[in-house]
Amino acid sequence: MDAYFTSGMLAGDQKLVLRTAASTGVAASLDRLQEFAVLRAAFGAGVTVPEPLFANDDPAVFGKPFFIMRRVDGSAAAHRITRDPALDPALPTIAERLGRELARIHSIRPRRADLEFLAPYEEVEPEHQIAGFRTYLDTHPAPRPVLEWGIRWLELHLPPATDPVLCHHDFRTGNYMLDGTVLTGILDWEFSGWGDPHEDIGWFCSKGWRFARLDREAGGIADRAPFYRGYESESGRRVDPERVFFWEVLASVRWAVIALQQSDRYMSGGERSLDLALTGRRASECELELLMLLDPGGAPRDE
Amino acid sequence: MNDLPAGPALLALAREVLLRDLLPLLPQAVHLDARLIANSIAIAEREAVSGEPPAMRVRDGLKRLYCGKGEEKTGLLSRFAQDLRRGSFETSEPQDREAREIMWRLTIAKLRNANPRFLSANGFS
Repeated sequence: MDAYFTSGMLAGDQKLVLRTAASTGVAASLDRLQEFAVLRAAFGAGVTVPEPLFANDDPAVFGKPFFIMRRVDGSAAAHRITRDPALDPALPTIAERLGRELARIHSIRPRRADLEFLAPYEEVEPEHQIAGFRTYLDTHPAPRPVLEWGIRWLELHLPPATDPVLCHHDFRTGNYMLDGTVLTGILDWEFSGWGDPHEDIGWFCSKGWRFARLDREAGGIADRAPFYRGYESESGRRVDPERVFFWEVLASVRWAVIALQQSDRYMSGGERSLDLALTGRRASECELELLMLLDPGGAPRDE
Repeated sequence: MNDLPAGPALLALAREVLLRDLLPLLPQAVHLDARLIANSIAIAEREAVSGEPPAMRVRDGLKRLYCGKGEEKTGLLSRFAQDLRRGSFETSEPQDREAREIMWRLTIAKLRNANPRFLSANGFS
């Protein structure tokens, strides 16, 4: 929305975005005031985000909690970003910049008084995620053998404990804005929480988020090298490929479960949305990726 | 029993009309919805054409794995999923290989209907 302020720090014309409560249908998402707090922490850490301005939970204002942030220019359309040949020459540089941005997000560490609402890391470690996946599959009407097999692999290959950082938990192509070739903002912070830094790296690189360019392993925009380089130079820490692999496997399971949950909103939740109904079909794409990651070259020859 | 053209042919034609004749007339704001409808029609068409054989191959694999012991398809698939959760095939190389083959066939068969383009982008026909 466009607003004009007659006085104060924002006096004059302002381009703003209003974010109100909206159900994603996915568990563990933050409410709008919590998302505002995370956005403020990220802004303070130097992450390129739309500047968060106000938040309010008084229902008398808009009927539900909301926050307002500055509107940044550009587009986050993932298919266009991964398909547009005009962007190609700039994409490795953008990948490196995204690595730096992610490292800045990961510079935020517990404990923080302003982020006390985030679940303690002990409650979101991979063991808990695995238990959550299984609990969900136990309620799902159709058996998912490949997901069960992938989850079993995760259980047997848990990485050693690490110091948690603030993870975006949906850091991927489609959730950042580009104005031409300039990064203008990291978006959609509603799944943020404490986690293993490699979790965000694995999510960014997982095949589910490469869109039109499966061959470009860093978010469909570049090789991993520039993305990792940006991350390592900003954070001063090495990316551990084995750890990334674990989180990439988990990313495929997680995306499959999210896809099924979205489809549940149609199947059992009464939402007559074709988009939601079709999203469930994408779970098989994640299952193919699990097989390709964990049983490379194992496909029957006649397939 | 039914008259021609058959259901899959009608679905294919309906999709063609939607994308060729209707889509250009629709406002940009509903193009995504139109494409989702076209995608749904394509999935329904492919499922109608592929029929039972892919599921039968998976069922045959499950029967081999479980030495032909009972249970209809859904029951076997649930049992298979639970056994994978427990790692039941990990101590037997032949069983592990058979289990993996079933998973590959199951997944490829699903994607042939749901998203053959994703399958081919990953090197499968």
